[in-house]
Amino acid sequence: MNAWLVCASLLLVAGLLPVVWGTARGPLGHRVVAQNCGTSVVCLVMLLLAQGYERPAYTDLALVLAVLGPVGTLVFARLLSGELDEEPRWGRAVTALTVAATAPVVIASCAATGPGRAAVKVVFIGVLLAAGNVIASRTLSGAHRNPTETRYD
Amino acid sequence: MSRRLRMWILAVGALGFAALFCAACPRLPAFGGDSHPYGERAVRAALAHRTANVVAAVNFDQRAFDTLGEESILFASVLGTVVLLRQTREEREVPPAPARVPLPVRRYALLLLPVALVVGLYVVAHGQLSPGGGFQGGVVVATALHLLYIGADYRALERVRPVGVYEIGDAAGEGAYLVLGLAGLVAGSSFLANTVIGYGTFNTLASGGIVPLLNMTVGMEVACAVVVLLARFLDQAVEIEEESGR
Amino acid sequence: MTDTLLLISLCAVAATATAAVLVRDPARQALVLSVLGLALAVLFTVLQAPDVALSQLAVGSALTPLLILLSVRKVRRRGRREEDGR
Repeated sequence: MNAWLVCASLLLVAGLLPVVWGTARGPLGHRVVAQNCGTSVVCLVMLLLAQGYERPAYTDLALVLAVLGPVGTLVFARLLSGELDEEPRWGRAVTALTVAATAPVVIASCAATGPGRAAVKVVFIGVLLAAGNVIASRTLSGAHRNPTETRYD
Repeated sequence: MSRRLRMWILAVGALGFAALFCAACPRLPAFGGDSHPYGERAVRAALAHRTANVVAAVNFDQRAFDTLGEESILFASVLGTVVLLRQTREEREVPPAPARVPLPVRRYALLLLPVALVVGLYVVAHGQLSPGGGFQGGVVVATALHLLYIGADYRALERVRPVGVYEIGDAAGEGAYLVLGLAGLVAGSSFLANTVIGYGTFNTLASGGIVPLLNMTVGMEVACAVVVLLARFLDQAVEIEEESGR
Repeated sequence: MTDTLLLISLCAVAATATAAVLVRDPARQALVLSVLGLALAVLFTVLQAPDVALSQLAVGSALTPLLILLSVRKVRRRGRREEDGR
């Protein structure tokens, strides 16, 4: 077990357990924020596992998750928009924390792969993930502003 | 056939299966052991056909016939859903109201749509090299199209998604898999045999013989099937209402 | 030591699956289900089955929640209409 896998284990314990706790209880808005955070945690874990197992092909998992994870959160934000009636309390802090965690993982992965197409791919995954996370989180904190409007679109 | 007779036939079948299953179990390799007789043979066969991703070689070369079965299951279940979720006589179609989507979400969805499409096609095209393949990539492509629903509204999605075309694509993907299988038969070996075209160079896009071609047909089938499936669900949830006075 | 990672992912899957059963509202269940998909993807990757993990991620992250939430919306709308009709 190398340092990458140790980091992945620590990130799993420190990240996924609060996410499971957060999605299982509390107001609906908080649960969606926790789900959004879970996408980022698992995407970073996938990057770390790809390095830890020395399998560059495993970064495809992180790529697909970075594309589809925020889309899933936006699906929740869209179809539950009538019920997200409370501003998520820790929304901003959680998003800032996950985006801040993205940077060191991406930089370390790039440093380990060296310059080349693989490094560009890792940076691309990091940018997609951070952008998706921020957009999804902003949508969630904006959804509470017109809670009475029920959409039938 | 009476109920009693049917139960007897079921019992005979179940007993026969149980006997064969119990006879096979003792000869299975131990859990977590070092010897993997099937794995070694599968890896050898995959490398002989120059396929880097052994899972793709198992799915589309060594056991391509099983994948035909899986593909047909998806095809049949989507067909069943289409029949079940059709618009009945007591229901009417209500045009959906346009949705107000925050500008950042709209921009993000429209920017991400081409990226997600390319990622899906990349996953399909690299099925013989890295994790992924027709099924995974097809689902990503279909999800990418529905970013239009997230970023705009249902009417925008309906404009670029003629369901009829996707239904034809669904059937064409399924048919193309069969045709590729028959090509193996015509070429002189067996159904779905990987002998139609050359194996190419190991670890490049053009490798693995018919594995990438089968991946493409499956990708087309899955993408179209998921679009048709979601179209039925969206119609029911967004457009179709029961007649009042029900 | 690799067993530690396997143990952590197995526990994450068990915890999330239990939570998915204990949450009773279908819309909230869809949220837990999507996190369960993420935990399963990690487990599959740790077990060196990235193809299966990719299938799980592709289906579980956006497609399944969309199908579940659309069904929930349809059922709720029908319930609301029946209440109005009375």
